[in-house]
Amino acid sequence: MGGVSDYVKETIDSIRSIQVRQLLLQIITLGMIVSLALIMWKGLICFTGSESPVVVVLSGSMEPGFQRGDILFLNMGDAPVRAGEIVVFNVDGRKIPIVHRVIKVHENRETGEVDVLTKGDNNYGDDRLLYADGQLWLNRKHIMGRSVGFLPYVGWVTIFMTEKPVIKYILIAVLGVLVLVS
Amino acid sequence: MASKEKKANLLDHYSLKRALDDAVTEIITANGYAENVNLSNLKMGLGLVACTIALVAQFFPKKFPANKGILIWCIALYVIVFVILQLIMYFKEKNHILFTHPLQDSFSSTGLAISSKFPRFSDLYTLEIASVDPKSLSANPPVEFTKSVTKWFTKDGVLVEGFFREDVENLLNKFTLESRKGK
Repeated sequence: MGGVSDYVKETIDSIRSIQVRQLLLQIITLGMIVSLALIMWKGLICFTGSESPVVVVLSGSMEPGFQRGDILFLNMGDAPVRAGEIVVFNVDGRKIPIVHRVIKVHENRETGEVDVLTKGDNNYGDDRLLYADGQLWLNRKHIMGRSVGFLPYVGWVTIFMTEKPVIKYILIAVLGVLVLVS
Repeated sequence: MASKEKKANLLDHYSLKRALDDAVTEIITANGYAENVNLSNLKMGLGLVACTIALVAQFFPKKFPANKGILIWCIALYVIVFVILQLIMYFKEKNHILFTHPLQDSFSSTGLAISSKFPRFSDLYTLEIASVDPKSLSANPPVEFTKSVTKWFTKDGVLVEGFFREDVENLLNKFTLESRKGK
């Protein structure tokens, strides 16, 4: 039993004896890793033109094409929105964006503005129930991007971390300890 | 000197090199050479700048796509700082583990640049002592030694500081005496 408390004391001593400079170096190294990831993400946002270039499918409304837990890659681009495309859009008042297919497009030939109606493949009716009060159509400004690729199953990690935030904190704590100890 | 023994994992190559490099730094500073932290400070400063750029990119009040201009600027600046950091590490640092100032009160010595090599699957550790500024008048030619790490570690992974200190201090004396031979 004495051996365990000695070991703990030794570990605490060795942690305390790290000089301030070393600690600063560790923190800055950690900061560099995080900032590199952040900048790469921002670069991806600029490159695809979409404010969230990677999204996770959360519901079964697009089955059998997309299942819950799939990851979608989005791209915005300047091309006009056309029926049949799968788009991700935001509705005012809803936090989480929705992934559905465009089924109707009304385009103003002079201004180029569009009114868009969407519907989930696996849903019975169109999305007018999901739009904001009194809203019958989506416009280009609501659309975050078009789906250009997907990865199955990988999104479950994000779903777990969102539904059980404890896992997120545990993961960050473990990573932090690993970086400090190595 | 140090009251606790230095223990390294004999199977972990990186931890062995780390233990030896740290010991070298201790021995050299104990011999009167103060560590020159300018380069290290510069790298830390640049690292902090890079982190701030990333924070600005992340927490700027406008949402995409209104903040696209700012984002592009941040990304460009970050890439520049990152490249500078990599260049510093590649050209100035290479294998160096320690830079020092000249000995205090001495007119005829320069600072030291100490580098070490410890190849992946070898047990031979090479330590080299050179002048920080090879073109200065009081610079000495570099000296080095290569020895197996088995000479300094017990089978439990404890670094026997006495043996190692002897080897390092001999090298240091060899370095400082080289100039007198030339004169």
